[in-house]
Amino acid sequence: MNRPKMNIIRLLIICFLALPFSGFAQKVTDVFRAAGTPHNPKVRIAFNQYYSSDGLAALGQKIAEAHPELVRRQSIGKSTQGRDIWLLAITDYSTGDPDRKPAFYVDGNIHSNEIQGAEICIYTAWYLTEGFRDITYVKNMLRDRIFYIVPTINPDARDEFFRGPNTASSPRAGMIPLDDDGDGQFDEDLYDDLNGDGSITQMWRKNDNGNFIRDPKDPRRMIAIEPDDVITGQRYEYLGREGLDNDGDGQINEDTYGYYDPNRDWGWKWQPDYVQRGAYKYPFSAPENRAVADFVKAHPNIAGAQSYHNSGGMILRGPGAEEDVSTYNRADIRIYDAIGEKGEELIPGYRYLTVYKDLYSVFGGELDWFYGGRGIYTFTNELFTSYAFYKKSGRDPDTRYKAEKDLLLGDAFVPWTTYDHPQYGEIMIGGFKKNFGRATPGFLLEEECHRNMVFTFYHAYHMPRLSIDQIKEKSLGGGLREITAVIKNDRLMPTHASQDLKYKIERPDYISIQGVEVLAGMIVENEDFNVTREQKVEPEKLRVDNIPGNEVVKVRWIIKDRGRPTVIVDSAKGGYLKKTRE
Amino acid sequence: MKSRLIIFLCGSLLCFSTFRGAAQSDYRSAEQVSNDLQALVRQYTQNAQIQSLTLTPNGHDIWALTLSKGQPQDHPGLAIVGGVDGRHLLSVELAAQLAKDILENHPDWLDKTTFYIFPNMNPDATEQYFQSLQYERHGNGSNTDEDRDGRLGEDPYEDLNGDGLITMIRVEDPTGDYIPLEAEPRIMVKADREQGQSGRYKLFTEGQDNDQDGAYNEDGPGGVSFNRNLTYNFPYFTPHAGEHPVSQKETRALLDFLYEQWNLYGILTFGPANNLSSPLKYNRTGATKRVVTSILREDAEVNALLSKRYNQIIADDNVPPSVTEGGGFFEWSYFHFGRLAMSTPGWWAPKPEKDSTQASTTNREANFLRWAEQNDLDEVFVEWTEIDHPDFPRQKVEVGGFAPHIMQNPPYAMIGSVVEKHSDFLQEVIDMQASVELINLQTESLGDNLTRITVDLHNPGLLPTQTQMGDRSRWLRKIKVQLKLTDDQSLISGREYQLYERLAADESVQLTWLVRGSGSLELSAGAAHTGVETLSIKL
Repeated sequence: MNRPKMNIIRLLIICFLALPFSGFAQKVTDVFRAAGTPHNPKVRIAFNQYYSSDGLAALGQKIAEAHPELVRRQSIGKSTQGRDIWLLAITDYSTGDPDRKPAFYVDGNIHSNEIQGAEICIYTAWYLTEGFRDITYVKNMLRDRIFYIVPTINPDARDEFFRGPNTASSPRAGMIPLDDDGDGQFDEDLYDDLNGDGSITQMWRKNDNGNFIRDPKDPRRMIAIEPDDVITGQRYEYLGREGLDNDGDGQINEDTYGYYDPNRDWGWKWQPDYVQRGAYKYPFSAPENRAVADFVKAHPNIAGAQSYHNSGGMILRGPGAEEDVSTYNRADIRIYDAIGEKGEELIPGYRYLTVYKDLYSVFGGELDWFYGGRGIYTFTNELFTSYAFYKKSGRDPDTRYKAEKDLLLGDAFVPWTTYDHPQYGEIMIGGFKKNFGRATPGFLLEEECHRNMVFTFYHAYHMPRLSIDQIKEKSLGGGLREITAVIKNDRLMPTHASQDLKYKIERPDYISIQGVEVLAGMIVENEDFNVTREQKVEPEKLRVDNIPGNEVVKVRWIIKDRGRPTVIVDSAKGGYLKKTRE
Repeated sequence: MKSRLIIFLCGSLLCFSTFRGAAQSDYRSAEQVSNDLQALVRQYTQNAQIQSLTLTPNGHDIWALTLSKGQPQDHPGLAIVGGVDGRHLLSVELAAQLAKDILENHPDWLDKTTFYIFPNMNPDATEQYFQSLQYERHGNGSNTDEDRDGRLGEDPYEDLNGDGLITMIRVEDPTGDYIPLEAEPRIMVKADREQGQSGRYKLFTEGQDNDQDGAYNEDGPGGVSFNRNLTYNFPYFTPHAGEHPVSQKETRALLDFLYEQWNLYGILTFGPANNLSSPLKYNRTGATKRVVTSILREDAEVNALLSKRYNQIIADDNVPPSVTEGGGFFEWSYFHFGRLAMSTPGWWAPKPEKDSTQASTTNREANFLRWAEQNDLDEVFVEWTEIDHPDFPRQKVEVGGFAPHIMQNPPYAMIGSVVEKHSDFLQEVIDMQASVELINLQTESLGDNLTRITVDLHNPGLLPTQTQMGDRSRWLRKIKVQLKLTDDQSLISGREYQLYERLAADESVQLTWLVRGSGSLELSAGAAHTGVETLSIKL
């Protein structure tokens, strides 16, 4: 073989051997771990973008398949259009009975346009599974608790928000067609994307009697004319959102998708549409919500919950309606306050507020049913506030415009163009895109995910954690012994919220003794002064109304002097524990 | 030969009497009602359809009958609902027999109205009337924890005296609150301390305290009561209500059906609430709250009118007070569904004849007992008889009280006239029914092919096209007035398409247009729940 050919062959062999090192896979040694981030995750996810319903499902599946010892994935039901509502059940399955651990429930995207909650749910699932190996806090959390995570509970309309022409605030509802104007037709006058840019922006028209002028310093902006202004330039009038009169009834866009509000469809103090705008037929008449409710009813171990909306930067608790103030009593408000105020610290710019007082009355909201109907401490976070752009407090109306120009480099505004409208004549169309204003911009999204996630962890941490602290024995003589068991709850939340105790929503906690013959059983109300309350029926299984937060409960049995006692604590929200006296 | 003739005649007579005896003599079971309804629909296939909305936990069908001429949605609709209260067998018979009555005797009603009839919303509970252990039952067959103690069905009734009926027990005990009524000592009443009375008896339903929690028979088999499972004023976490409003398949199935019938304008409920003998009263505070708790003013006037008509047919003598429970169906049908809502128990015992040998009393139970005895009703009251009761080993305990179902459900032989009277009342309602008509049509030619059209849109009925409450509801459509022009006609003035909310009884609106062109055009007005009228207008 001649020399040039040999060289070529050698060259080819070297290239071929060098290929694996030529850089599409990162080596472990290429990456240095950043503080507080799971290291070298099995599943790689970009958290600076949004995912469609299929995208979220695919991510959930990837996470479940990468961590089978930590994740079980199930569909809890089908949406209006037949999509699965996916749930990830995350815990350390190698220890304890998973569905008996105190559970924390999270969901996102109940309002179709309020999208980033889904990403926060995926981030939470990702963080828990990827952090389990290296982060002790996560390991302990998953040992003691189980997380039920549902990234989107409105998958149909989420996709409609992404793919169809919408404003930042539409469709909000689900995809069940409804007759909004009482004319017998359903969803017959939708928005129309006149300039084909995927967003429904604004329509303006030159009008010498209009009440706005264009900002001479910022072509994006329209300024309202004040009574004392002297106007020399062109005036404009605002015509509304992009659209046409599709059904010839003299109105534009009056019957869009829905309208009903999935967050008025829940079974606590539900009111019909004329009292509470957006209510549908009856509680849980939207199939997505019914799937969630059925799951929650079947999992009485859920002790804390979180739902995600946008926007405004708020950490909300109930009551949703002023008429419902008596549902929340002082003991529970203190617990809400402790967690809510911590949240303000964890998420700068967010405020801890009460729905009916600081926002507006809502009947039949999700958070109201979780707390009022199931006794579960629940927060709703309204994600994203423009504070996040410059970390400066105070309301500055210029912030959005500045941020869109300087931080987002003009990517979030549709420049004004003219259009010939069949009813209005020559108009201008333009405005902020639908992914601006409520949805967190890409560069801020991972921070928003992380901060909200750790807020939910703080909440989940304080769900009850029970232990059988002591089993004391005392001989009474005459063949009898006295066994006193001390049950401790070393977290903030009780096993039964006050709403739960008021209505007996959940069953009492059972503290039982086995392996011995029981003659009498009692609750010890005061050990020092020996004040006890006897349970005459079935003394071997004592029924305790509640094990309060950061407190102990003591029970006592009089037993025959034979056998080794085993104490069992069986609490729906506190878990199932067993301990035998040495 | 003669003896054989006699035997033959006796035999025939026997056959004949058993044939007569095959006529219905007692309330029909769910299965019998089912079969009879199917047969009825087969007999009147042109005008009747039947469908099963869902199955109850115990496997009974919830039947929905649609009686109509032509398509059901072509005429305004009226619903009739029975079995909302599981103790009320009469309501099932009333609804089912009215269905038959309409098809057999009033087919002309179907020219004007479509009927949606739901004979029994709680067959699991009404069936308890036919079981070997008979008791008044609220709940359907779903297993629920009525006292929320973590145990299901742990404290049912027990038949302590073995008579197949669940009545009451009274325990002699100075810590009790009850004493016998002076005028009728079989009836137990609460002692009135203000009158200087002190209680001597404890009163419980018949049975033992199986779970030793102090309450008697508070958690038996079943179940959720349909008439507590609706959304208006839902009684959270109370017995038989369900975990949340509309939690049961039966409730959901009925509501899913009703919400799709856009032609439905009214609902007649046979149940414990009664706004026909005595109309609901308008209360300004309740009507102006955000969560409305009083009938609205104009609806109260309509209710008063209906009540007047009802009392002319069914005398309001000795009417028991209307029973409104939280979560009730009648209340939902008005306050949440916004339809013309009517409810009545259908029957109640009249006052007994005056008897100078008996002290008079206002106690309803005592008067019922007297009336029953005057009319020779069977097995009305189980006399107080002493028994040994394991929960009260050292006290005197007696079993006794009214037989279950007896006070609300008259002997079957009396039902015929109740059905007839309510049929007469339905006739009144249908005669008053709202509709829309286009009358006093005028076309004036203004020259140059220009025509002015004027017409009155009028509701000739004595009922409004919808309730005032319905005005607020998104589930009632507006009255659509539409002018259909041809291509060579044009509208100069007036709207091609208008929506009107409501026309009160005898209310009219004048409509006018200016049209350019010739030939004829079509004007239509109406909505599904008023009927639609069309007019052809020549220019």
